[in-house]
Amino acid sequence: MSDQQVFAGALLAAEPSCPPGLTAWNGSDPGRRFAIYRNNVVVSLIDALADTYPVTQELVGEEFFRAMARLFIQANPPRSRMLAFYGDRLADFIEGFPPAAAVSYLADVARLEMLRVSAYHAADAVPLTPAEIAPLLEDEAALPTARIGLHPSLKVLFSRHAVVSLWAAHQTTDVTRALAAVDSDVAEVALVLRVGLDVEISRIAAGAAVFITGLEQGIAFGRAAEQALAADDAFDLAATLGLLIRGGAITTMIIPRSATS
Amino acid sequence: MNKTLTAASLALALGAALTVAAAPVAAADEKMAMEKEHCYGVALKGKNDCKAGAGTSCAGTSKVDYQGNAWTAVPTGSCEKTVSKTSPTGYGQLKEFKAKMAG
Amino acid sequence: MNAHASSVPKTVGATCGLPARGGVGLKPEHFREVLSTKPDIGFFEIHAENYMVDGGPFHHYLGRIRERYPLSIHGVGLSIGGESPLDADHLDQLARLLDRYQPESFSEHLAWASHGEVFLNDLLPLPYHAATLARVCDHVDQVQNRLRHRMLLENPATYVEFAASTMAETEFIAEVVLRTGCGLLLDVNNVYVACVNHHRNPCAYIDSLPPDAVGQIHLAGFARDVDAAGDSLLIDSHGAPVAQAVWDLYRYALDRLGPLPTLIERDNDIPSFPVLLAEAHQAERLMRDAVANAAATPAAANSSCGVGA
Repeated sequence: MSDQQVFAGALLAAEPSCPPGLTAWNGSDPGRRFAIYRNNVVVSLIDALADTYPVTQELVGEEFFRAMARLFIQANPPRSRMLAFYGDRLADFIEGFPPAAAVSYLADVARLEMLRVSAYHAADAVPLTPAEIAPLLEDEAALPTARIGLHPSLKVLFSRHAVVSLWAAHQTTDVTRALAAVDSDVAEVALVLRVGLDVEISRIAAGAAVFITGLEQGIAFGRAAEQALAADDAFDLAATLGLLIRGGAITTMIIPRSATS
Repeated sequence: MNKTLTAASLALALGAALTVAAAPVAAADEKMAMEKEHCYGVALKGKNDCKAGAGTSCAGTSKVDYQGNAWTAVPTGSCEKTVSKTSPTGYGQLKEFKAKMAG
Repeated sequence: MNAHASSVPKTVGATCGLPARGGVGLKPEHFREVLSTKPDIGFFEIHAENYMVDGGPFHHYLGRIRERYPLSIHGVGLSIGGESPLDADHLDQLARLLDRYQPESFSEHLAWASHGEVFLNDLLPLPYHAATLARVCDHVDQVQNRLRHRMLLENPATYVEFAASTMAETEFIAEVVLRTGCGLLLDVNNVYVACVNHHRNPCAYIDSLPPDAVGQIHLAGFARDVDAAGDSLLIDSHGAPVAQAVWDLYRYALDRLGPLPTLIERDNDIPSFPVLLAEAHQAERLMRDAVANAAATPAAANSSCGVGA
């Protein structure tokens, strides 16, 4: 093993140890000094996770979160030199982590928080204005074939839990009171979207979610709307389009050339 | 049964959406059927820096092992305030879990 | 080895483009305030890795701030002191960032942060001997060639030393400068922290570096700890105002090096912007004093080392 491999191994190991060959001017135990590095690596990474997952941390408490984060870090140290998206696998880790099993919705809340970070840093794209979309109405017959491109920050999260309501309750000043009104067992779908410079998290209806994921997959406007209606009788196409247009989520809307006459 | 939407109904919906989207904020939000949580995230920090953690040099030496009963931490945050009628996430359930872990 | 000296690239950006003024690290907490108050400050510095994202507020604000202020890009993840080869993708991302923002200065650390696939997120120490010297020089050459930009190498704050070292840190750094043509980022807080931690004289440390190579200075606050023998162990926390001992050492450096772009670094417990601005202005006052002293006593290098380790 190389020197740095030994050093790196000792930094991340569960049990403290000190690599050979380290010295201190006064002959004191270099292990005490090495612990500064060991601590700094782990604590800085725990802090990075706490920054990304504030609600996840609040749900289980700081002590539990940090202890869990430490285990996550030992099993999943960063592979990228940029930490912005570090911990994108924390939700999967939580699902396989027995001590967190009592909080059944924790993994999905973590997923939502990571989507929020992704949306924050996602690529920029100029949204279409209502005035730019309006001319498409002139070719009504071809409208069902239109391909709608969505903003790079947009993501949909399906959860068996009230993931949006749980998250939103933690944005209020009286979390306890807000949480009392939430039934965590109600399934919700989250829409994550950066509007201007702010990431917004919305709860959307099942039909809207099917419609938007259809568009994400490149399905034509008409077909995506039909799928949404099939999945949800209450699907409100006008309201869903209004939400997307207003949020600047539609960046392209093109009627394929072959469809125009 | 496969539901179909006519081109005319798509156009109608899009036209309505454009009208709503062009309207003033309050009116538009009211008309939108979506339940929208107005939760704007706070600005994120940059996570890469070149600092060392201050005054925490001992933390790196604390042992962590959750094999068997050595892991004693239980969630003690706001999850204890969450109502759940069917799944084991309520306050009482956490206490029970804690007892199981300790036993 | 001599091949190194001949491989100094023609640089596109001049590393001495930053003004000899005070600057502060740009924090997202301060984006809007900087744009709305347009503070009188010499330059801003960013950590490169934080801006290796596709879009969003970080680029939005940095683009606008960069239009008004000189910019220093400071890398924290290249792992120049690493045994592993430099990460080509990371270097490409750095090149894109430099291309986009055209910074007046690019700097990185004499340290390692990655091993194999794993990024450890700390500036880790390396022994100083012939093999590590060759490796560091090779990496600095690669960086300068890829970025087409002369880089500044920052002296580290360290907590341990290596039995395998055969050279002093300053000797090692001076040799890297000689072989690669890179410049130095003199982190005065790191000098102080390392010299206390290893019981050396911080003024002698500064005297041992090639003075003409220094292109920028960093100042920051440290935290106090003790080692296993109860002796002082200072931690490079960036979480406190610049300590008086570090201001004193900065003055010593200014007397020898003249005014230099000087950054106030703060990464922990970030205060309000005016607090950081005041520290940057304090650095500028000391620069003016140093110039005035040099004019009054042309014998130069007049301050004695009042800084004990």
